[in-house]
Amino acid sequence: MDQQRRNDWILFGSFWAVFSVVGFYLVLGIDLLPAQWAHEAEVVDDAYILLMGLSIPIFAGVAAALLTSLIRFRVKVEGQPTEDGPPVHNNRNFVRLWIASTLMLALMITVNPGFIGIAELRGEPSADIVVEVQAQRWSWKVNYENGAETFNQLYLPADRRVRFDITSLDLVHSFWIPGFRVKIDAVPGRVTHLYVTPEGVGSFEDDFNLRVQCAEICGLGHAQMAMPVTVLEPADFDAWVSDLAEGA
Amino acid sequence: MRQLLRAVIFGILGYLIGAALTWLIRGGSMGDEVCVVFGYILGLIGWLFGIGMGDTWVREWFGLPARKYEVTGWKRYLGFSTDHKVIGVQYLATFIVVLLLGGVAAMIIRFELAQAGEGILNADRYNQVMSMHGILMVAVAVAAILGSFGNYLVPIMIGADDMAFPRLNAVTFWLIPPVAIGLLAAPTLGSFDAGWTAYPPLSVVNNGGQILFVLAVTTFGLSSILGGLNVITTIVTMRAPGMTWGRLPIFVWGAFSASLISLLTTQFFAASLILIAMDRVAGTVFFNGGAGGDPLLYQHLFWFYSHPAVYVMVLPGFGAVLETITHMSRKPLFAYKAVVVSFLSIAGLSVIVWAHHMFTSGMAEYLHGPFMFASEMISVPTGMVFLSAVATLWRGKLWMKTPLFFAMIWIFQFLMGGVTGIFLADVVTDVSLHDSYFVVAHFHYTIMGGMLFAFLTGIFFWFPKITGRMINDRLGIIFALWLTIAFQLTFLPQFWLGTNGMNRRIADYPEQLEGANLMSSISAFILGSSFILFVYILLSGAIRGPKAGGNPWNASTLEWQVSSPPPEHNFSGQPTVVGHPYGYGTAGSRHAEFADVTVAAAPPEQPGTDQGGDHE
Ligand code: HEM
Ligand SMILES: [Cu+2]
Ligand SMILES: [Cu+2]
Repeated sequence: MDQQRRNDWILFGSFWAVFSVVGFYLVLGIDLLPAQWAHEAEVVDDAYILLMGLSIPIFAGVAAALLTSLIRFRVKVEGQPTEDGPPVHNNRNFVRLWIASTLMLALMITVNPGFIGIAELRGEPSADIVVEVQAQRWSWKVNYENGAETFNQLYLPADRRVRFDITSLDLVHSFWIPGFRVKIDAVPGRVTHLYVTPEGVGSFEDDFNLRVQCAEICGLGHAQMAMPVTVLEPADFDAWVSDLAEGA
Repeated sequence: MRQLLRAVIFGILGYLIGAALTWLIRGGSMGDEVCVVFGYILGLIGWLFGIGMGDTWVREWFGLPARKYEVTGWKRYLGFSTDHKVIGVQYLATFIVVLLLGGVAAMIIRFELAQAGEGILNADRYNQVMSMHGILMVAVAVAAILGSFGNYLVPIMIGADDMAFPRLNAVTFWLIPPVAIGLLAAPTLGSFDAGWTAYPPLSVVNNGGQILFVLAVTTFGLSSILGGLNVITTIVTMRAPGMTWGRLPIFVWGAFSASLISLLTTQFFAASLILIAMDRVAGTVFFNGGAGGDPLLYQHLFWFYSHPAVYVMVLPGFGAVLETITHMSRKPLFAYKAVVVSFLSIAGLSVIVWAHHMFTSGMAEYLHGPFMFASEMISVPTGMVFLSAVATLWRGKLWMKTPLFFAMIWIFQFLMGGVTGIFLADVVTDVSLHDSYFVVAHFHYTIMGGMLFAFLTGIFFWFPKITGRMINDRLGIIFALWLTIAFQLTFLPQFWLGTNGMNRRIADYPEQLEGANLMSSISAFILGSSFILFVYILLSGAIRGPKAGGNPWNASTLEWQVSSPPPEHNFSGQPTVVGHPYGYGTAGSRHAEFADVTVAAAPPEQPGTDQGGDHE
């Protein structure tokens, strides 16, 4: 390899290193993700960070190659171009290596955070309590196991695994709690399920992402179709829910 | 001109007759959706008949000679022309206009979203403007490159004198104005507000304008299918002698694989829309969950087309960008064969990944893994395209004119779109990101970054060919940088908004998210205003740019071997293809010969030495 070509690669390598470092710094330095309020949020965020970590060097590599090309290979052309680049049509081994690595990477991601993540996120289909949710333009009705019912308010116990049974009376809506990082559509004629284990005690007043937000467009009130979520200590929750059932 | 006027009159008459007959038969009012449906159908037929089908096909069906109008000059562009170059320009102009219209809607959207709370639009209006923006832009993305450059360039690039079915080609284009009219007329019935995806039950119970959406978009689908059929037939049957499959310019391959997808999958979208129309007007319950129908059925049908559709958008874009890169860096396209295989595998894989849009839809969970796996696999052929683009640039002689600038920026933009696509194809992260602003940012990087930037690359690369003049290159580069920087500032914050709790398609959001939204809005206005410069560059270039000559880039493929703009039947004699299209750097390499003169680009430094030019 002559000096010229070695310098191309050195420049490329330096850019790559710098971009990767800057990329990692930004991703880890900036608060990209909001507070986690459920076990599921940790699983999702871990997957997100892992994918970010894998993307940054890829991204930095391509950006470095572009910048290197721009600096090293641009030519001044007067009138019409007068020279051609080298007649490289292919480089079989390089192409094979490239395909093998992208394939490996794609398979790796499919396994983790893909399949492994799904297993962690979904876990066993067992729950400590069941909460029924009914969506209707543009509000939510919530029923708890003992007959208690709330309207546009969701109360949950911390550290207990909750199963939501969700349906809709009219259109497709979507039950999204950003602080928990999970969502599932509410579909008329079907019951869909979602498992969550809330962690930490808090309410919408503490974090606006402790809310159920409709995420599937449903007309006029779609943006406002939200309800605050309050996570209580399990004992407080039990007291709250039985009070409510008796009052009803 | 006369034809156009006649088409408008026949269209209106057709509409009135259809609507009135339906009204007479069933009563009610003329504005009822059933009347609109039949009115639209007859109106469409009247329009096509008036614009020129009547003069050609219909007369021939009855044994009469086709009637010909001799029109010349700019008037050709307003009539039923069967010349593929005229049709290409008609597409180009139409879709630039639609793009600008959609852009105005985007500005209104961002104005509303600049601050929390209700601004200039109430929630209803917001949903309508957002839906209009979405469908106009999707139409641009699906048809702009294929319609304009596909028509204009594919026949020339393969050494043919026109498309395989010139009349069908004209019909394909003239189906587009009714689409635009139908969509823009929707507010008269109360505009549609269900997004471009039009999920039922919302799209069954909302305003009457939704029926016009259904009719217009179905018409658009028909145009896509016919266009795809024509491009494929042209490439299969009209190649010049010696133009083997291994010698097709890469743009032709892009157009070919995209057309395969349009031809084979658009029906599914049309079918799902027709089912919606029936649910609306005929009382069927295909998508009514309460009555035994299933809303998810629509989503499956819809995405069975609409995921592949994203590749209808970008495959021609891949072609345009790779074409520009290889010519402007004066190096053979790296790994040509592998790229062709990638295009075809993308087309194949694209039909088995649709349900990655449905991970949170409530569909059966055992489907999640397979669809995730298939989606991740698309990154392998897509990665090959990136390798080819970057490796072609590497050690090339980069002539940094506007088209190459755009092509290199495209690499960056589409990479951003592709990488964020992985987050959405992964079930775990998608459960959080689906239907959030993360998706909005993702598809703007893929569609605007991947398709529109490729369209701009193509516009600037082939502008001299089409108009015979050069643009002001300095302004072109300023436009490229202006657009690109504003783009990042507009859409990067939207990724953050998505992960931080902003869902998509909302007129209002929690006030905690105001900062990033304001930044996105201001940047969007800067982005939008760059298009004033764009229009200026095109107009000033077309009117008084310096003359381009036949081959201003000294490029090797066939379209550059004829005058700019090319003569009526493209070539004076039949070209014979004798070598690889991208023989850069090989002394004496030739792509094609005409009867006696050899015209393909020989490497400038050593003319004369002859080695024949097939690669490898
Ligand atoms: C490179 C690989 C790509 C992957 C892995 C990918 C993946 C995805 C996924 C999984 C979604 C669904 C997100 C959600 O709604 O939760 C999505 C949405 C979308 N993607 Fe991509 N994508 C890729 C490339 C593209 C391209 C090339 C385009 C267009 C040219 C595109 C356009 C879109 C659009 C329009 C949506 C949003 C659809 C909607 O819900 O309105 N994507 N992408
Ligand atoms: Cu809703
Ligand atoms: Cu998709």
